[in-house]
Amino acid sequence: MIEVRDLHKSFGPLAVLKGINLSLAHGKVLVIIGPSGSGKTTLLRCLNLLEIPDTGSLGIGGQRVEFAAGGGVPAKAVRALRLKTGMVFQSFHLFPHMTALQNVMEGPVTVQKRSRTEAALLGRELLGKVGLAGKEDAYPHQLSGGQQQRVAIARAMATSPEVLLFDEPTSALDPELVGEVLKVIRQLAAEGMTMVIVTHEMKFAADVADQLVLMDGGVILEQGPPEQVFDHSAHPRVRQFLNRLGGEE
Amino acid sequence: MMDERKLQILQDSLLPLLQAGLAYTLPLALLSFVLGLLLAVATALVRISSWYIPQQIARFYVWVIRGTPLLVQLFIIFYGLPAAGVVLDPFIAALIGFTLSVGAYSSEIVRAAILSIPKGQWEAAYSLGMTRSQALRRIVLPQAARVSVPPLSNSFISLIKDTSLAAGITYVEMFRTAQQITAVTYEPLLLYSEAAAVYLLFCSVLSVLQHLLERRFDRYSAA
Ligand SMILES: Nc1ncnc2c1ncn2[C@@H]1O[C@H](COP(=O)(O)OP(=O)(O)OP(=O)(O)O)[C@@H](O)[C@H]1O
Ligand SMILES: [Mg+2]
Repeated sequence: MIEVRDLHKSFGPLAVLKGINLSLAHGKVLVIIGPSGSGKTTLLRCLNLLEIPDTGSLGIGGQRVEFAAGGGVPAKAVRALRLKTGMVFQSFHLFPHMTALQNVMEGPVTVQKRSRTEAALLGRELLGKVGLAGKEDAYPHQLSGGQQQRVAIARAMATSPEVLLFDEPTSALDPELVGEVLKVIRQLAAEGMTMVIVTHEMKFAADVADQLVLMDGGVILEQGPPEQVFDHSAHPRVRQFLNRLGGEE
Repeated sequence: MMDERKLQILQDSLLPLLQAGLAYTLPLALLSFVLGLLLAVATALVRISSWYIPQQIARFYVWVIRGTPLLVQLFIIFYGLPAAGVVLDPFIAALIGFTLSVGAYSSEIVRAAILSIPKGQWEAAYSLGMTRSQALRRIVLPQAARVSVPPLSNSFISLIKDTSLAAGITYVEMFRTAQQITAVTYEPLLLYSEAAAVYLLFCSVLSVLQHLLERRFDRYSAA
């Protein structure tokens, strides 16, 4: 489903990703953890080409793109790959001039040229799925953070992407609203949605992940099933990071 | 102080002034505003694009129009161009002058409004698979329009007043009508004050409309 090979990305002189290799099978959940500045967001943004990697290759659902220093990526290939992914941002980025339903319909109507009737039907179904039936006509500013993030999840799913990408989906939320968003993500995992999730919620990570990736300084320190990473990692940096997290709780 | 003759003049000239305002001043302002806005959006889009040559042309246009007096521009178009073989009707000359002026000033407003839309909105649009032009049309421009309503309304109100400059190129709008009546009544203070009052009336009505328009847009933005 997802195949990342030797991905590198620098911002000017700053090397942020230094050779990332990943693969994820259909229907599985990959959770990325790691200290601040380790490159988690950058990696996620590379997966839907909001950042164009310098070198390496990326394949999602049969769509492959190779990156080479100095060579651009054709806009068409970029959009084709983006259609295979849906992105959920830390601070939602809902379209404020559209209602919840219009936000969800936007991808199907504008990008996929589906009829408004069909898109509205799909939009209502997805809003129902994330627990927001009845909120179709609310504007984003009329919704709580947790509700906005759930609209954003429905919006990301509306174009039927093969993978959903989440960048710290609960970090901008008040603590009492975190649960409702995590619940939706857990439900998607149970339904077999393929997902890549960056999070600082360790208990959630351990529960939902099929594969856990620990990043530090632009490289993957450790990856495997969560039990293995959490309980048996011998790597000193891993122990150090996990201990620090433990200390915070 | 106010004798009967003066009152009569005031009364007699009110209708011609209002007529000139409604039939000549407002249409000139409205038409040049609409055309000017189209030009402004096009100019703003070129300026935020990565097209080098058109970008330089757009910058040059804005620089020249903003750096020279509007009255002088109108004189060049109406009195100057005939020397180059281009003879224009006063209305057309005024329309061109005001359109160019609105286009240049408003392009800065539109450009600033587009740049004020958070980067996350572009990224959310791109992440759905939109092209740049789809993201602009569906996501960024509608939000930029909301941001530009107050400054653009102010430009329109200024434009209503600026159309009086067209009197200088023989276009018979409200101010020139006042001048013509003054020429026969010899009452400049009276006539020009009356014309000023009608301008004030027009601008006040527009301010109310501006307020209503902003309220309509407020539907989706908190406070
Ligand atoms: N557009 C950019 N330009 C320059 N530097 C950037 C850019 N984006 C990220 N960086 C830098 O790259 C490094 C990795 O950033 P990234 O956002 O990927 O980290 P992260 O693991 O997501 O951190 P956090 O947990 O704080 O979100 C940081 O040093 C950051 O300052
Ligand atoms: Mg991050």
